[in-house]
Amino acid sequence: MTRLLVADDSETVLLMLERRLEMEGYEVVTARDGVEALDRLQELGSQGPDVILLDAMMPNKSGTEVLEEIRGKGSDVPIVMISAHLDAQEPERMRKLGATDIIPKPFEWEDLIGKIEELAHDGA
Amino acid sequence: MRVNPSLTARLRIGFLVLFALLLIVSLLGVGRLFQIRVNYEDDITRYFQLELQSERLRSGFILEQAAARPATAHQKPSQGELDAAAASFTNAAGEARKLTENDTELTQKLNRLVISQTAWRKAVAQPLIHEEVPPARVESKLTSAVTNSGQALASGTSAARAAAREDARTETRNTTILVAAGLGGALLAALILFSGLINSMRAPLGRLVEGARRLAGGDLRTRVEVGGPVEIASLGRAFNEMANSLERDARERDRVEQMKDDFVLTVSHELRTPVTVVKGFAEMLTAQRKGLNSRQYEAAEVIAESAGQLQKMINDLLDLARSDAGKLRIEPEITAVRPLAQRIGRQMRPHFEGKEQQFTVSVEKDLPDIEADAGRIGQVLANLLTNANKYSPEGSQVRLAATQVGDEVEFAVSDNGPGLDEEQLEHVFDRFWRADSSESQSVGGTGLGLAIAKSLVELHGGAISANSSPGEGATFRFVLPIAKDGRPKRKEPSSRTKAGAAS
Repeated sequence: MTRLLVADDSETVLLMLERRLEMEGYEVVTARDGVEALDRLQELGSQGPDVILLDAMMPNKSGTEVLEEIRGKGSDVPIVMISAHLDAQEPERMRKLGATDIIPKPFEWEDLIGKIEELAHDGA
Repeated sequence: MRVNPSLTARLRIGFLVLFALLLIVSLLGVGRLFQIRVNYEDDITRYFQLELQSERLRSGFILEQAAARPATAHQKPSQGELDAAAASFTNAAGEARKLTENDTELTQKLNRLVISQTAWRKAVAQPLIHEEVPPARVESKLTSAVTNSGQALASGTSAARAAAREDARTETRNTTILVAAGLGGALLAALILFSGLINSMRAPLGRLVEGARRLAGGDLRTRVEVGGPVEIASLGRAFNEMANSLERDARERDRVEQMKDDFVLTVSHELRTPVTVVKGFAEMLTAQRKGLNSRQYEAAEVIAESAGQLQKMINDLLDLARSDAGKLRIEPEITAVRPLAQRIGRQMRPHFEGKEQQFTVSVEKDLPDIEADAGRIGQVLANLLTNANKYSPEGSQVRLAATQVGDEVEFAVSDNGPGLDEEQLEHVFDRFWRADSSESQSVGGTGLGLAIAKSLVELHGGAISANSSPGEGATFRFVLPIAKDGRPKRKEPSSRTKAGAAS
């Protein structure tokens, strides 16, 4: 089963992502901020997720920082950033940091699921 | 402190100075001419009197000669007559001396006459009285001396009179020239004075005109250098105050505008997350329809649909707010036209089917790639097609076509609906504007779709236009540049080049 790590500071958004992705048949691990996301990754260890979804803006540690840290460890797991990018330079910056894809907020489900599917299959 | 008299003061001073100069020159000139006249008359009178005295001197000499040597033989020389004639001569000489007081030459001539007369009287008249005949040589010499010096005095006098006339004439002429020069000079001074006055106004007035022009042109930082006469200077200050106030207002307006942009941006951004969540869960409910009864399912569907509309509106508002704030960004990539058109066609087809409209998508064969943000151009196409769908009645035809025109790709969305009149066409891209006809009463939407489409197309360096006439449908066209290093269009399998048509 494809495992996803999803991090978003909005509880409702997180719950919705979890339920919806579960409905699509994914195993979903959730985190409410960047620190928690890194904790979950450590817990999972070798059972790491196939795709990671990170909200760019989160308290404690932002999605961008988490992205930087994961790539810093040499991991090449696909990471999809969910960004409201009010700042026009943000997408480019995130791509430079190693983001596999960037989904603008708010997203269309079809886009999100299509992208995860694509990445999960590529990774497999 | 620098003295800066007012305009009226300058004019007053100017006129006073001019008046005084003219008055002085005129008075001096007239006075001088009068004086010359008086002097001339005095001179003429004096020389006339001098001539008179010369005559008396001459006749005195003749009388003395007659007394010393009577013309007839029975008359004897008379000492008494000689004395009387000599007294008359001396008297005339005294009168003449007074008249020649200021003229050394005439005085000398007069003295010579008196001396020669005295010498003659002593050497010729007195011996004759005493019956002694003076030597003829001495007599003729002394007599001609008297005659000559008398003539010299007479001719000297008339020469002096002529000289006086000549002097008076020369002086009159010189004075006239001087007065004319003085008047001319005064007028010249006035001219310089007034042109100085005009110049002192011209530069600050010119600056004011230039400043007003720049201000009208929209440069609100324009200020003028305050200067010139008091009135012009205060006009300059008033101008600067006006510019200050205009700039203040403009800055305030910009600030309010910025606040509005920020507000719309923030609000729509904050609204998006909850709406996304509502929509997401409602869609989840409709996807799991087995657990719901038909009413619950209906409610979930309505929630999902309304949330979708709300999301669309919020996105539209956000796009416009970003566009206004200059923050609307596109990410152009080399994009194939056909899959883009087909994707939007698929997405829109249910709407057309819902109104039983005939919808066709046609993409020209071998169309080159475009340089565009596929998502955004898809949004433009969807907005145009949504409009066509909404404003055309049931059973009408809507067509999406993409063709190459020069080095651009033209997208056209046309319908055969009610169309738009000229006045409507003018406003069709205005935000919140909606065609106001009985048929469109039921049409929903925010009236932002075309405004956003226009912004997006222009952001791509393209142009959008609308063509229509009432009753003949409407066509919206926009063009986008062909990608410079796009692939030649040969990748699509030929079986898929014909886009499907739905009834």
